[in-house]
Amino acid sequence: MIRRDFSERDIHMALDGELPSDERAAYDAWLDANPEMKAKSARFTADRTALRAAFAGVLDEAVPARLRKVVLGEAPVKAAVPRSRWWLAAAAAVLLVAGGLGGYLAGVDGIGQEDPAEDRLAEQAIAAHVIYAAEKRHAVEVLASDKDHLQTWLSNRVGLKLVAPDLTANGFQLVGGRLLPAGESKAAMLLYEDDKGERISLFVTVESAENAKGTYASAQDGPRAVYWLDKGYGCAVVGSLPREQLAVVAKSAYGQLLAGLAS
Amino acid sequence: MDEKKAAILGEIPRLRRYARSLLRDRDAADDLVQDCLERALVRLDNWQTGESPRRWLFTIMHHLFIDQMRKVNRRGEAAMLPLEAGEAVAQPAEQVESIASREIIDALQAISPDRRAALVMVAIEGFSYAEAANILGVPAGTLMSRIARGREELRGLLDDTARRRAIRIVEK
Repeated sequence: MIRRDFSERDIHMALDGELPSDERAAYDAWLDANPEMKAKSARFTADRTALRAAFAGVLDEAVPARLRKVVLGEAPVKAAVPRSRWWLAAAAAVLLVAGGLGGYLAGVDGIGQEDPAEDRLAEQAIAAHVIYAAEKRHAVEVLASDKDHLQTWLSNRVGLKLVAPDLTANGFQLVGGRLLPAGESKAAMLLYEDDKGERISLFVTVESAENAKGTYASAQDGPRAVYWLDKGYGCAVVGSLPREQLAVVAKSAYGQLLAGLAS
Repeated sequence: MDEKKAAILGEIPRLRRYARSLLRDRDAADDLVQDCLERALVRLDNWQTGESPRRWLFTIMHHLFIDQMRKVNRRGEAAMLPLEAGEAVAQPAEQVESIASREIIDALQAISPDRRAALVMVAIEGFSYAEAANILGVPAGTLMSRIARGREELRGLLDDTARRRAIRIVEK
């Protein structure tokens, strides 16, 4: 029997049929001696079974006529330019799933590696929301009753023309706003409240160099951020509303913010 | 019908399964297969005698998939998507899926495209490490680490889903 040290790597190799057959007995003995590894192996095996089952039906489906036609030459073969838009669906699916499972993804390395800027914006916005939206009397620095001053002050400090969106159509009234640090620059936070006391906040900063859009949650049951980044500014709407409702409010807020910036 | 075309036709079910695991949405997946077939037919001459049609076609399709995913990331195409379009894509697939299948398919979609492709190649499509590394165009070590991380990530997501379901049940 071959003697060597085994590791988690071997669990994958064994599962994928890549473990040399003369090492199998020693590997099995190692598994038996390591209940934790054995449990891990069992979970991965079950996941593989489930994966295969989930896609098994595809092989039995009739091949769509359009695909047969491409091969049989009944349709003109175009130059190999991807004219289909399948990749848009892929990109959208990534965003949506990331929103729904964001709590987990936030903790996994490598997932957000392409887009640290938007994660940072969303994290700052969520952190601000968690701290200030919970405050009863000190949630904002300037109250909505002083809205003109609030807008002028925040616009000057943040460095872009900020018009507080009117979200009454969505059931939310402006409570007020405050100035916050955001990395090396500043951010404006506008707080809104509905008649049940549910609060959402708008986080706007000038620090952004790229285009991005999505949803983000830093904790499983924590508030979610819907964010946009464009050249020169970034915006996030944060709240614990149901996802669809938050998306609607966020869209309304973003549209008005954009109109305000351009005014 | 010439032999090459017959061989390609025979691979369509496998290509569709791979595409479905990468993209979930049935029409989008078939669009990817169609792009792959069109490219393959234009390049029939590049297909060397004796080379497995499966490996040749999977390589073409994988490159189409990864190239586009990279472009999407770089150009921020996703940012241009109106919310409604994204919501439409999120509609569950039309076929009836068991809850377990739906959960694992959702989780698979949530892991990074590179890891998803590596894991699916080996765990569903049954390619060896050497074949999969060749198709994906990465060293064997990279392939192995993508598979290992992909599996870990998938399991983490499934644990997370189960936990959330438990919380919901308790809340009722």
